[in-house]
Amino acid sequence: MAIVEQPSGPLALRGPSTVTPDVAYGVFRRPVATSGWKSWLFTIDHKKIGIMYGATALFFFLVGGIEALLIRLQLAQPDGKLLSADTYNQMFTMHATTMVFLVIMPMAAAFGNYLVPLQIGARDVAFPRLNSFGFWAFFFGGVFLNLSWFMGGAPDGGWFAYAPNTGVPFSPTHGMDFWVLALQITGLASLSGAINLIVTILNMRAPGMSLMRMPIFSWMILVVQFLLVFAIPVITVALVLLNFQRLFGATFFSVDAGADPLLWQHLFWIFGHPEVYILVLPSFGIVSEVLPVFSRKPLFGYPFVVFSGAAIGFMGWGVWAHHMFASGLGPVSVAVFTLSTMFIAVPTGVKIINWIMTMWGGRLVFTTAMLFAIGLIVEFTIGGLSGVTHAISPSDTQQTDTYYIVAHFHYVLFGGAIFGIFAGFYFWWPKIFGRMLSEKLGKWNFWLMVIGMNGTFGPMHIVGLEGQSRRNYRVIPGMGVSFWNMVETISSLILAVGVLLFVINVVRTNLRPRTAPLDPWDARTLEWMTASPPKDHNFDSIPAVHSIDEFFHRKYEEDEETGDFTKIATAEEILAEQEAHADAHMHLPSPSYWPMVLAFGLPVVAIGLIYNIVISVAGALIIILGVYGWVQEPSVADDSDYGPPGDATKELAAVE
Amino acid sequence: MQHRMIRRSGPLAAMAAGVVALAGCAQGDVPQSTMDPKGEYAQTIFNLSWPVFLIAGVIGVVVFAIIGVLIVRFRERPGHEETPKQVHGKPTLEIALTVLPAVLLAAIAVPTVNVLFDINAEPEDALVVNVTGQQWWWEFDYPSITGDDGLPLVTANEMVIPAGQQVRLNITSRDVIHSFWIPKLNGKRDAVPGRVHTWNLHADDPGEYWGQCTEYCGLSHTNMRMRVIALTSADYERWVAQQKTDARAAEDEAAALGEAQFKSLCASCHQVDGLKDAEGEQIVAQPQTQVYNGAAPNLTHLMSRGTFVSSNFDLLRPDCRLERDDLSVNDPEAFSAAYVEGTSVECLNKTQLEAWLRDPPAIFPMFVDPTQLEATDGKYRGMPNLNLTETQIDQLVSYLQTLK
Amino acid sequence: MSDITADVAVASSHEAGADHGETGHATTTGLSNNKLGMWLFLGSECLLFGGLISTYMLYRGRTQEGPKPSQIYDIPFTSISSFILLMSSLTMVLAVSASKHGDLRRTRLWLCATAGLGSLFVGGQVYEFTAFYREGLGFTTSLFGSSFYTLTGFHGVHVSVGIIMLVSLVAILLRGRIDGNRAEVVDIVGLYWHFVDIVWIVIFTLVYLIPA
Repeated sequence: MAIVEQPSGPLALRGPSTVTPDVAYGVFRRPVATSGWKSWLFTIDHKKIGIMYGATALFFFLVGGIEALLIRLQLAQPDGKLLSADTYNQMFTMHATTMVFLVIMPMAAAFGNYLVPLQIGARDVAFPRLNSFGFWAFFFGGVFLNLSWFMGGAPDGGWFAYAPNTGVPFSPTHGMDFWVLALQITGLASLSGAINLIVTILNMRAPGMSLMRMPIFSWMILVVQFLLVFAIPVITVALVLLNFQRLFGATFFSVDAGADPLLWQHLFWIFGHPEVYILVLPSFGIVSEVLPVFSRKPLFGYPFVVFSGAAIGFMGWGVWAHHMFASGLGPVSVAVFTLSTMFIAVPTGVKIINWIMTMWGGRLVFTTAMLFAIGLIVEFTIGGLSGVTHAISPSDTQQTDTYYIVAHFHYVLFGGAIFGIFAGFYFWWPKIFGRMLSEKLGKWNFWLMVIGMNGTFGPMHIVGLEGQSRRNYRVIPGMGVSFWNMVETISSLILAVGVLLFVINVVRTNLRPRTAPLDPWDARTLEWMTASPPKDHNFDSIPAVHSIDEFFHRKYEEDEETGDFTKIATAEEILAEQEAHADAHMHLPSPSYWPMVLAFGLPVVAIGLIYNIVISVAGALIIILGVYGWVQEPSVADDSDYGPPGDATKELAAVE
Repeated sequence: MQHRMIRRSGPLAAMAAGVVALAGCAQGDVPQSTMDPKGEYAQTIFNLSWPVFLIAGVIGVVVFAIIGVLIVRFRERPGHEETPKQVHGKPTLEIALTVLPAVLLAAIAVPTVNVLFDINAEPEDALVVNVTGQQWWWEFDYPSITGDDGLPLVTANEMVIPAGQQVRLNITSRDVIHSFWIPKLNGKRDAVPGRVHTWNLHADDPGEYWGQCTEYCGLSHTNMRMRVIALTSADYERWVAQQKTDARAAEDEAAALGEAQFKSLCASCHQVDGLKDAEGEQIVAQPQTQVYNGAAPNLTHLMSRGTFVSSNFDLLRPDCRLERDDLSVNDPEAFSAAYVEGTSVECLNKTQLEAWLRDPPAIFPMFVDPTQLEATDGKYRGMPNLNLTETQIDQLVSYLQTLK
Repeated sequence: MSDITADVAVASSHEAGADHGETGHATTTGLSNNKLGMWLFLGSECLLFGGLISTYMLYRGRTQEGPKPSQIYDIPFTSISSFILLMSSLTMVLAVSASKHGDLRRTRLWLCATAGLGSLFVGGQVYEFTAFYREGLGFTTSLFGSSFYTLTGFHGVHVSVGIIMLVSLVAILLRGRIDGNRAEVVDIVGLYWHFVDIVWIVIFTLVYLIPA
């Protein structure tokens, strides 16, 4: 058992947790690097994994964004000639798949991984190596999916992949095979991540942190992970059926053999609708953290926000068929799903009301993070209201599969999920990297994105109601929609500039670092009660929690008579006290190669399934190797591997 | 900050303005508008939709106004240092604000469910039309009307119905899922292979109503378009009578040469009722051996239609088309009469027809690339390039224009 | 799918967690991380089998070609193999109980017995698949064929993964003594094994016993 002996004093606390490679497990010795790229690749530190999730997701965000721009450029004028019909179909399939599975979901995983242990006062997640496996499975899955561009064509069946159009006769390239297999791989990533975070949240909270004292972001992450645990297997079934259909000639979607194509739709949307909440609830959590901090008030109606989140989580399972109002389910089923869909608006509305009430009576500070949070409320309200208009199922028969729906879910997913993520970037950047992003650039970033997104997606409401159909590779001349399509394209470029400013902001903060104060926003929750960036072991001493907004209550004291709060301590003082009372023993998990090896085997097996089974065998061997090494290697290095921090550096030097 | 709020609620204002602008639009300008209903069902849906839009709009404006007010009122000002009152919530207010939207939604739910059952109910004395989607065109057949050949009357891409009468559709598909949608007449309904879905149509007046397939169905999904043509009852009867007849044998020499070309090049996929082989037997298109999805459009009365290739191209020359569109908007009765006349030789858009015959996949993406057919057992989907010579094209056009 | 199973099995047997679990620190719920993780995984598995069973139920009556379920099922044979699998749950309970008492010899014995009974069941399934195939029910023959082989095949893979876990456990227990941690690993593998058993009861009832 690795124990970092922890003499008091700040100097010793700086010491890295190191491992010596005395013992070889399997074929490799344990990775020991504590700096450089190796320390990242083989890390099982939840913070480094969180950052890697974020960086990879940001990269895919740019990829998906470029795909979106190509789509918009094609549609700038009627009969656009930039992309062929075939390429366009691949483009919109990959844009959606990328944004959903490779951007928003992993971005939530990034924030969840990084912040949840800090918010609940834990030293790491419950299963650190499983965490690393999750990241690498997502990473390799994403790379594998995009390989299809260079191997005969990307998937072209839409992200919803309706059978039988995704069968071999109708989609003969290997694109859909890549899609089906890649989503199974990223599904494994999500499932392992979800189990990990649930166990972490349920089992590893600091003393005194009851569920109802938990920061709201961790709550929303908890709800989302439960949704994932139950939604991922459903789409896995759908993917397996399609996989067997395409590769082994199964008959699940062969109408000639008597199959019902609606089976796919039911399976897909039973996953697909909870998926919508999987995408948007983490951002709700982020906003529910940002608004109180910059309103200088606690979240209004904390239990209502928690329960409405949980209610959305439950009700989200009962509305899937509203994606199928035109599918011919029969009026009785449609009526049932119409009602359930209309009423899921209630808990969503509760959240918006609570956010507004949080700001009411506060002292609002308009930082970039706060602007994005308010932006989310506004844009999501538009998306939510347009959602109600097509919950009305007869209206939906006019609106479904038109740009009206495209407008709706971009307001929800861009104005909701992405704005929340950007609020999170600006809010937690100083915590994660110890550096400030430029607020000035940030405001340009925000306003360009707001103008760009409303200009891009706003007119889609109009052209949708004017009958412009979705997934069309060209704007059909004579439909009376050309003007707004041009407006949309120009706005999408503005939006792109907005996003680019964020990238520039990130580059700038690296070139000209500006050290962040310890508590730049006067924040309220536990993650701020540690160094920026946090030490490897997160907290010098695990704090005991007495209330929601623990950090706030340690900084401010309430006058019992007037109810006024006055500042009694600074963050620096609180941290110094923590250091002075540092825990004597801290157990940190040790780096490992095996999760990455195991994850790497997955796409190899997948490529083999498509091209040559021999490759699959090789992949299976890699997986077996990974499992074997993983089982042989204890999750933390043995006692003998460790010495006190001083000795450890010596041993390291001897090895190198 | 206030002006920012105005900018932020811009899209909503634009939406409202757009809605108003749309209402004033002439029919021809936005041919697939859902806000310009021209039949009973579309009207019923629209009557249900717009109050909901209005309510949603009002709620939106109220929410944004509140946010605007609090941004101005509660922003941090210099000298404003004290920590605000730490309010944790007001349960009564919360419950009230939860119940209120629930009640509002319940109020909307009642008419919604009513309309839902209304538009799905089977109307009495309806004309039945079977709708079959396939990549990437629509076939319509009329099971209650039998042609000279003893088979139901069949046409493609332009469905002709009598104005003012109820039409019951049985919708299905031969390959993948499609969706039938004529926005001005009714919402959409999916065409699912292996299932038959019912749906209703009704047009108040004669006219030409655009639609397109709205369930993504592969390569040329965008181009899978169709029209519903509503005629006066009298004109509709004339149209039926004319559709019942078989095609006559070609009379002039050019057409006869074209007919011969048609028999050898086209007739294996495209049926022309009345087209006889050397033994005097009807030539039956048996396309299943070559094309994945089954039949190609029946061309017996091609020139009775105003468009071809899934209503993507006009059979009418641009000037004749303008004239017809004008009638469709301004003089429905005259439009009806003109439509039954079909596309005359004078008005025929020969350039377009020739361009199509020269290289179909070039102007309408189809799955006919011979190098990609391995996965589909050599079956293609759509019309391949037949590499016709200009002479062949001329002869075929001469023949096709006789198919009235 | 087997990857998930293997992975979580691995995780549950050796993942220590950062600060809790193996070191004896109390967790907030009182359940160890590993056990809670396994419960969640099994919850997820319920929906996986739920989806596969639904697919089978939807499609079993739609067979157009090839043998129909009623023509091909050998209920007595499958009843016996189901009984064998059921008995393996009993031996698993005995193994868990022995491990809790620190009885290394009996733990090994009962684990071996469980693995043996499981192997018998898988062997029976292989025999059944072969027999069905000979009678004309291929994987691609009909909807019944595709959905039957997929569902029972998935279950068979789960049983096989369980057997691998049991054998590995026996191998680990060949050395050394049995302590609280190892007893918990036995317990967790037991959870998985019982789950796979229960799923089979459901499959046997819905797929074999209730006529289409």
